[in-house]
Amino acid sequence: MKLVNWTKVISISMALLLLLSGCANSTGTKNSSAETKDKVEAQPKQGGELTFALATSPDSLDPHRSGLAVAGRVFRTIFDNLVIQAEDGTIQPWLATEWSVSEDGKSYTFKLRDDVKFHDGTPFNAVAVKFSFDRIIDPKTKSGNALSLLRPYVSSEVLEEYTIKINLATPSAAFLSNLSQNQLGIVSPTAVEKYGDQFGKNPVGTGPFKFVSWTENADIQVEKNSDYNWGPSNVENKGKPYLDKISFKIVPEEATRIGSVQSGQVLAAETVPPQNIASLKNDPKTQLLTVNTIGLPYTLFFNQRKEPWNNVKARQAVQLAIDVDSIVKTLYLGTYERSWSPLTPGIVGYDKSLEGSVKVDIDKANKLLDELGLQKGSDGIRVKDGKQLTLNYVDGSPNREKRNDIAVIVQQQLKKIGIKVEINITKDVASVIYTNADYDLYGNSQVNSDPNALRAIYHTRTPEEEAVFKGLTGGSDTELDQLLEQGTAELDTAKREEIYKKAQQKIIKDAWIIPIYVFPYTVAASNTVNGITFDALGYPLFNDVSIE
Amino acid sequence: MKEVVNTKTVLQVPKWKFTKLKTNFSVENRFILGAGMIVIFIILCALFPKWIAPYSPTYMDTSLILSPPNSAHWFGTDYFGRDVLSLVIYGSSDSLIIGIASVLIGGLIGGIIGAVSGYFGSIIDVIVMRVIEILMTIPGILLALAIAAALGPGLMNIVLAVAVSSIPGYARVMRGQLMSIKKRKYVEASRSIGTPEWRIFLLHLLPNSWSPLLVMATIGLGTSILIGSGLSFLGLGIIKEIPDWGALLSQGRGYLTVGWWISTFPGLAITLFVLSVNIIGDKLRDTFDPKTRKTR
Amino acid sequence: MTIVNKVLLKISTAFVSIIGSSILVFSIIYLLPGDPVLSMIDPSVATPEMVANLRKELGLDQPFYIQFSEYFMNVLQGDFGQSVVNSEPVLPKIVEHFPATLALTITSAALSVVIGVTFGVLSAIYRNKWIDIIARIIGLFGISMPTFWSGILLILIFSVFLNWLPGIGSDGWKTLVLPSLSLGFVGAGFIIRMVRNSMLDVINEQFIVTLRAKGLSERAVMYRHALRNALIPAITIIGLNIGELLAGTVVIETVFSRQGIGRIVADAIMAKDLPVIQGVVFFSAIVYVVINLLVDLSYSFIDPRVRRAN
Repeated sequence: MKLVNWTKVISISMALLLLLSGCANSTGTKNSSAETKDKVEAQPKQGGELTFALATSPDSLDPHRSGLAVAGRVFRTIFDNLVIQAEDGTIQPWLATEWSVSEDGKSYTFKLRDDVKFHDGTPFNAVAVKFSFDRIIDPKTKSGNALSLLRPYVSSEVLEEYTIKINLATPSAAFLSNLSQNQLGIVSPTAVEKYGDQFGKNPVGTGPFKFVSWTENADIQVEKNSDYNWGPSNVENKGKPYLDKISFKIVPEEATRIGSVQSGQVLAAETVPPQNIASLKNDPKTQLLTVNTIGLPYTLFFNQRKEPWNNVKARQAVQLAIDVDSIVKTLYLGTYERSWSPLTPGIVGYDKSLEGSVKVDIDKANKLLDELGLQKGSDGIRVKDGKQLTLNYVDGSPNREKRNDIAVIVQQQLKKIGIKVEINITKDVASVIYTNADYDLYGNSQVNSDPNALRAIYHTRTPEEEAVFKGLTGGSDTELDQLLEQGTAELDTAKREEIYKKAQQKIIKDAWIIPIYVFPYTVAASNTVNGITFDALGYPLFNDVSIE
Repeated sequence: MKEVVNTKTVLQVPKWKFTKLKTNFSVENRFILGAGMIVIFIILCALFPKWIAPYSPTYMDTSLILSPPNSAHWFGTDYFGRDVLSLVIYGSSDSLIIGIASVLIGGLIGGIIGAVSGYFGSIIDVIVMRVIEILMTIPGILLALAIAAALGPGLMNIVLAVAVSSIPGYARVMRGQLMSIKKRKYVEASRSIGTPEWRIFLLHLLPNSWSPLLVMATIGLGTSILIGSGLSFLGLGIIKEIPDWGALLSQGRGYLTVGWWISTFPGLAITLFVLSVNIIGDKLRDTFDPKTRKTR
Repeated sequence: MTIVNKVLLKISTAFVSIIGSSILVFSIIYLLPGDPVLSMIDPSVATPEMVANLRKELGLDQPFYIQFSEYFMNVLQGDFGQSVVNSEPVLPKIVEHFPATLALTITSAALSVVIGVTFGVLSAIYRNKWIDIIARIIGLFGISMPTFWSGILLILIFSVFLNWLPGIGSDGWKTLVLPSLSLGFVGAGFIIRMVRNSMLDVINEQFIVTLRAKGLSERAVMYRHALRNALIPAITIIGLNIGELLAGTVVIETVFSRQGIGRIVADAIMAKDLPVIQGVVFFSAIVYVVINLLVDLSYSFIDPRVRRAN
C-alpha cells in the first residue's frame, strides 16, 4: 500500500464520489459531496479516534436480526459480505473471489478467500458461510430484513473448505445484489454459539473494525482490525484501516447533534437537517458530505381498501392536487430531490421518463371528484350521501425527515379541492398500519439495492398474508402482479429493466402512490477528517478515513 | 409556636372582602394592572382571533419561508411561510384550554379528595393518603406519557394526562391545609357556639384552606402547557392545523439557529401568560390569605 | 415515638406504596393498546404461528392477574425479567444507567435549592422592592420555559458559541453542568415562590415578633430564625418533586444525549416494553421513598419544633 501514489488515490476517490452523486443526482444540482477536500496529497495519517454522532440508536448489532438503517451504519464496519455492489451496479468480489450460476439459475457456487479470519480467531470458510445463511432462515433467529433478502434461499452445500454451493427454490435476479447488502454479512459461528441471544450486543465478524463495547444510549466503540487485508473494491485502502478507533455516539436531538460537530465535541455527525446545511457549508471548519440513498423513495401510499380511494379517479384527483415540488422546496430548502417513481434513481430499471410526468392541475382534480358525485358543501368540503370527504393521513412519530410537516402541507393543499385531511400521528405504526390498516394515506421508504423490492409492496397479497400483516397498498392488479413476478425471475438485465419500467409506469398511471422525495444521507464532518466514502446504498465506509 | 398564643388574632374569624383589592398605586399594583391587561388580551385572542390576527394562521406563503420579524410579519414567518404572530394569536385558545381545563379537573378532583381526607381523617384519610402516596411515587410526566401513549394524541387526552398527574399534588396540599385549620381555635370556637358542621366547612375551612391551592393552580396553568409541550417534544403531541403554543415551541426548536423567532415568540407567550397569572394569583393569595392579610 | 420506630413505620408504608405503584403501572401498561409482539418482529416476514409462539413464550397469552403475580414473584427473587424488545435482562440495564440519572437528579436538586433559597430569601426580605420583582420574574421564567428549550439554548450558547462546556455525553462533571442548570432552573422557580411565601409567613409569626421585641438584630432574626423555618418548605418541595426531577430527565437526557433511565423508560413506553417500564418505575419509587424519608428526618435537624415533638 505504501507505494500507492496518493494523488491518484484521492482523485479516484473524488471521481467515485462524483460518480456516486452523479448517478443519484438526476437534476444535476450542485452536490456537496464534491466539496470533500482536495488539498490532501500526503500519506493518510495513521491512528486517531473518529467520533461519529448517530441520530438514533441501533436496536441490535446482529446483522441478521436488525432491520434498522442506523444499525447497518455501525455493523457495516464489523461485518463483510461475500460480494460487493459497485456504484455502477455490477457485483464484485469480496469474501468470495469468484462464482458461477447454474443453467437453471437455481444454484450458485462461490469460491471463497482462504486468508480471512474472524475477529475471535475463528477461520473464515465455507462452513462459516453455510452457518450464517442457515442461521438466517432458522425461525429461532427471528430474522427480519435479512430473511427477506436471502429468499428464495433453501440450503448450502460445503463442497470444499473454501467452496460453497448455495441452492435457491426459484431463480432470483436480485440474489447476488442482495448478498452484498449489509444484513447478509457473515458472522462468526463460534461467537454466535458463545453469546446466543446476546450476539447482537457482542458482534463478531471479519470486518475492518472489531467490536469493543456498546453502552446503551451513550456510545458504540469499534477498534482497528490489524489483520484486515481483504477490503472490497469500493474502498481504496484494502488493508487495515488508518483509524485506531471509531466511537459512534447516539445524539437524537438534531440541534444538539449539529452543535456537537460545530463545537468539536464529535468529529462527524449524520443526518444534517436542511435548515442547517447552508450554515454548515459556510463554516470554514466543517465539510458536508451527501449521498442519495437507493431503493424506494419516501412515498405516500393510498389504502385501496377504503372508499373512495379504491377508485382510481379519487386517487388521481389527489395526485393532481398535491404540489410535491412546493413541499420539497419549502421543507427541504433544495437539499432533497423530488421523486417521481416508486423507485429511486440509481437503481436497476429506474424509469427516468416518469420525471415531470405529473403536473399540478386543480381544475382537473376538481372535475374528477365531481364525476364521482362528490359535491362541495357550504364549508368547501365535498360531501356524498351526507358524508364528508375526509382523508385519514397517518404518519409515524417522531417527526423524522420532517414527514409530519409534509402532512401539514398536504392538508392545506387538499383543502383546495374539497378534501378534509385528518392527520393522525402515531407512535404505534405497527398496529395502526400493519394490523388494522386504519389509514387512507401513509408514507414510507426503504433502502434496497434491487427493484425486486417492489414485489413485497405492490404484488397482490393472499388472505393468509393479509392475516399476518396488512400490505401498504391494499390494491390488486393482475397485470402488475405478472410484471413483478417476471422481474424477479428474469436474468437478462435489459429485459428486466423494461419489465420494471412498465411496472413503475403502471403504478404511477393508476395513482397508487404519490412519491415525494429521495432521502440524501448527509454527514457533517470536521475538516480534519478525510476519506469518508459511501457504498452503493449510501452507507458510510470508514476504511479510507484518516484524521489530520 | 403553638405555645405562644395571641388570643386576639387566633380568635378572630377571618372575613374577606373584595374591596381589599383597592389599594394605592405601588410598584406592585402597577404590575397587577399590567398583568390583568395581558390576561384579558390573551383571553380576547383566544375568543376572537379573527379580529386580532393580521393573517390566516394556515396560510402558507411558500415564497416567504423563514423571514425574520419585519413590518409585514411582526413575529416573522415559520418554515411553512405562515405568519408566526397569527399562529400565536390563534394558538392561544388551545393553550388556554389545555391550561385551564387540566388545572380545573386536576385541582377540583385533587382538592375534593384532599378536603375529604383531611376533614374526616381516621381510616378514610389513611386509605386516601396511601393511594395518593402511590400516585406520587410515579412521576407525573411518566403517567402523562403512558396516558398519552395509550389514548393517542389529542387535545382532551393531553388535558386528561396532565390533570391526572397533578391530582396527587393538589390532594396533598388541600389535606394538609384542612388538617391544620380544623384544629384552629376559631373553628373550635365556632363549633362550641353550635354552628352546624356544613357551615363550618363552607365558611371557615374552605375559604381558609384554598389559598395554597390557588398558588398551585396559577403555576399549574403554565406547567400544563409545558407538559403538553414536553409530550410534543417526545413525539406524543398533537398535529393540528393551528398548533398550541407548546407544540409551536417544540416544533420550532430545530430552527433556533436559523429562525429563533419561530419558537421564541410562542415561548414568550407562555412566559407572559404564566407571569401575569402568577402575579394575579399572588395578589389574590395575599388578599385572601388570613395570615398575610393582617400585616397590611 | 423514637426515631427508629418512625423509620420502621415509614419503611413499611413505603413498601406498600411500592407494591401499589407496581400494580398501578402494570395495569396501565396492560391496558395500553398496541401489541408488543408486533413491534418485536418484522411484519414482512412474520407468520401467524411466529406471532402466537412469541406471545406464548413471553406469557402474554395469560390473564392479567397471572401475568402480574408471576412478575411480582420474580421481582421478589431479584429477577426483573428481560426486555421484550431485545431480550436484555432489565436489572443490569437499570443498574448500569441509574447512576448517571441519579447524579443529574441530585445536582439539579442541589442547584435548585441553592438558587431557589437565595432568591426566595432576598425576595422576602426586600418584599415589593425591585430585587423582589426581579427574583420572582427569574423564578417564573424557570417554571414557564420548557426544559428542552432552555437546554438547547444552553447548548447553543455555552457549547457551540462559547465552547466552554460539553453539550453531549455523560462522562465527567463538566457534562453535568448544562443539563442540571436546565433542569434545576425549573425546581428553582418553585422554590423561590415557596421560600418567599413561607418566609413572609414566618416573619409575621409571633416568635419572630417576640425576638424582634427582645432587641435581636434584624440580621440575626432573619438568618438564624426566619430562614431556618423557611427552609422546611424548600426541602419538602424537593422531596415531593424528586419524582418530577427524575421524570424531567426523560427530556433532558434526550436533549443532552446523556445516558440514563429517563431515555430508557421513554423508549420503553413507546414500545410497550412492560418489564423495562416496570423496572424503572420500581426503582424511581424506591428513590422517591428514600429521599422523602431523608426529608422527613432532616426536619428534625432543621426545625427544633419537630425535634421537640418527638
